[in-house]
Amino acid sequence: MIEVKNLVRTFNSGDRTIKPVNNVSFVLEQGTLASIVGKSGSGKSTLLSLLGALDKPTSGDVVVDGVSLAGLPDGKLTEYRRRDIGFVFQQFNLIPNLSAVDNVMLPMEFAGMKKSARLQRAKELLEQVQLDPSKHERRINRLSGGEQQRVAIARALANEPKLILADEPTGNLDEQTGDHIIGLLSSLSRDHNTTILVVTHDRALANKTDRRFRLQQGNLTEEPVRGRTAAAANA
Amino acid sequence: MSVLARSVGNAFRNKVRTAAVVAVLAVAIGLALAMLAANQAVGAKVQELNASVGTVLTVNPAGGQGFEGGGEPLTTGQEATAAGVAYVSAVVGTSSLRLRNAAEAAAQSAAGQTGAGSQGGQGGQGGPGGQSAATLTTNLTAAVDAGTLGNRNQQANGTTGTSGSTQRTVRSLPITATGIGAQVDTTGKALNITEGTGLGDYTAASTGALLGTTLAQKNNLGVGSTFTINDQAYTVSGLFDAGTEFGNNAVYLTLPTAQTLAGTPDELSSMIVTVNSMENVASAKTALQAALGSDKADVTQGQNLQTAVSSLDSVKNISFIAFIAALGTAGLIILLIMVMLVRERRREIGVLKAIGAPNRTIGLQFVLEALVLAALGSAVGAVIASFASGSIASALVSSNTTTTAPTGRGFQGGAGGFPGGQGGPFGGASQLLNSVTASASPGVIAGGIAAVFGVAIIGALVPALLTARIRPIEVLRGE
Ligand SMILES: Nc1ncnc2c1ncn2[C@@H]1O[C@H](COP(=O)(O)OP(=O)(O)OP(=O)(O)O)[C@@H](O)[C@H]1O
Ligand SMILES: [Mg+2]
Repeated sequence: MIEVKNLVRTFNSGDRTIKPVNNVSFVLEQGTLASIVGKSGSGKSTLLSLLGALDKPTSGDVVVDGVSLAGLPDGKLTEYRRRDIGFVFQQFNLIPNLSAVDNVMLPMEFAGMKKSARLQRAKELLEQVQLDPSKHERRINRLSGGEQQRVAIARALANEPKLILADEPTGNLDEQTGDHIIGLLSSLSRDHNTTILVVTHDRALANKTDRRFRLQQGNLTEEPVRGRTAAAANA
Repeated sequence: MSVLARSVGNAFRNKVRTAAVVAVLAVAIGLALAMLAANQAVGAKVQELNASVGTVLTVNPAGGQGFEGGGEPLTTGQEATAAGVAYVSAVVGTSSLRLRNAAEAAAQSAAGQTGAGSQGGQGGQGGPGGQSAATLTTNLTAAVDAGTLGNRNQQANGTTGTSGSTQRTVRSLPITATGIGAQVDTTGKALNITEGTGLGDYTAASTGALLGTTLAQKNNLGVGSTFTINDQAYTVSGLFDAGTEFGNNAVYLTLPTAQTLAGTPDELSSMIVTVNSMENVASAKTALQAALGSDKADVTQGQNLQTAVSSLDSVKNISFIAFIAALGTAGLIILLIMVMLVRERRREIGVLKAIGAPNRTIGLQFVLEALVLAALGSAVGAVIASFASGSIASALVSSNTTTTAPTGRGFQGGAGGFPGGQGGPFGGASQLLNSVTASASPGVIAGGIAAVFGVAIIGALVPALLTARIRPIEVLRGE
């Protein structure tokens, strides 16, 4: 369970302050698939970085399974990112001179997993995101944007995190591949009880989530969705 | 993919830049290794020279180093004083005589060629011992003739007028006869008796004598043969090899015998003082000088070698400073390169942190990358060093010892007439300097490379620690 309490993040740019996250509060139960929508520059990525402990809030707190991130030292925050979080960056942020497999293996290496085990899991994950096996050993800077995006998703899944934060995970994918990724995330939340928060402009994706939030100038509001549960109930 | 593999990969990420960095590093490391090799070689040579100077001090009468001589001769009383000085384990007195072939001397005086000039020239050859060495006649013929002494012969001819060519044939060097109080040569080294026996008790008068091998050969003498000094017969009891031409053109007698021949029973030409250990040489020298009085005696410790040693010591210091400086430069290059790399890869470091890499893993990755560069630099640098160290060492040595070379030659000249043995080890000082060859031994190279790695780690540690300050949010910043 993740509780967000009165989260504020302000930036000083020149003489004015901007508040991309302005007093945001919500609670997500474990296993929820949720989406955040909003205009460009509305603060979606900023909010995600606070949830993923990449950045520290100006005020407010994020409580994960009863543990307050505000009270954790840097070392523990690193551990939190390594063990509990899978982050899919809007810009992918893969290591360009490493192969797809090596990139996916990195978080597992940091977690101390044995080499043979991480190689095997990395290949499985790349297959799950439908990256052609011939491209597993290819260097990142020789992959297309969509291919890189899928490697980024595979990397986020590497350590079986309990919270996946995905910033536009289908932005560079064709409809069919995008649907596959949505299906993958959906099944993770359902079968592995993984909490998933996706930032998206993709209506199709937003409509398939359990809950949908809208961020407007730093303010978060929840919108009703027919959602997965409704769809499942109807089925 | 491990941290190490990633570091190696990163080191080669930009091949052109890596090549440039390795080239610059290699120059610095090569210089450091060459300087280290030079330092070691010179250090070894200094030790060798010190060992050859050994624990022996030589005491000469005050002012006795000059060509014109002067000063009071040393006495047996001073010998006792010297023996009482702390750390002194043995004192051996010597009494130097100069022997001239009787027939040659007669021929010269008959020709009226005993001009002041020629005496002066011989006095010069006499060197330190000159002022107290009585000249006696002998039936021995010197084994070294003046012809071998090129310029000195020339000088002598200049003073003796125009009929030079005929005189050259009759002129030969005096033979040095030394009375010694123990079976040592004039540098305090034990005599190397090659045939026959020593003189037994060196402190008692005796008609026995030791002849240098070449002198004996020249005069067709062997063990048991006799020869004369001042018409008195002496028996060859043994032959010795001093290892040098001058050294072997010499006769050793017991001390009292030489003193009687010289007509100065209580006087000594010099004293050879042995100090009980190497560490005490300096303090014994000071104490000895104080005990004997600087107006009466000069205490020297293989003077010429000391000059050589001190100039070599400065080469050693210079090369060590240069080694440290080059090493520091290598460290600085690594530091700057790594700082640059860390800045350049800020975002990537942010990524690693964002996906949970601990600070130490990232720091280690950068240190290892620096070590990869250092290893490449060392490999190329070692090759550079192996080619350059010889010439660097000899350039260093020659540029720092040219000032001492004339001193060395001057002494050698003075030593010619001085009791044999000194011509060898002391005269060779300048050659010793030139023989310093810095062949970079594997051990030295390994030590140097270890130092390079140490410096590389220190140089890389700063930027590696800088990575700890980079926050994971860097990942969201644009490039
Ligand atoms: N480090 C920063 N310093 C100053 N302003 C910042 C910083 N980071 C983000 N901002 C500003 O905060 C606002 C929100 O940015 P954010 O990246 O969260 O938007 P977003 O909703 O993710 O937009 P998009 O959909 O385009 O990705 C923007 O106006 C941005 O300029
Ligand atoms: Mg964004």
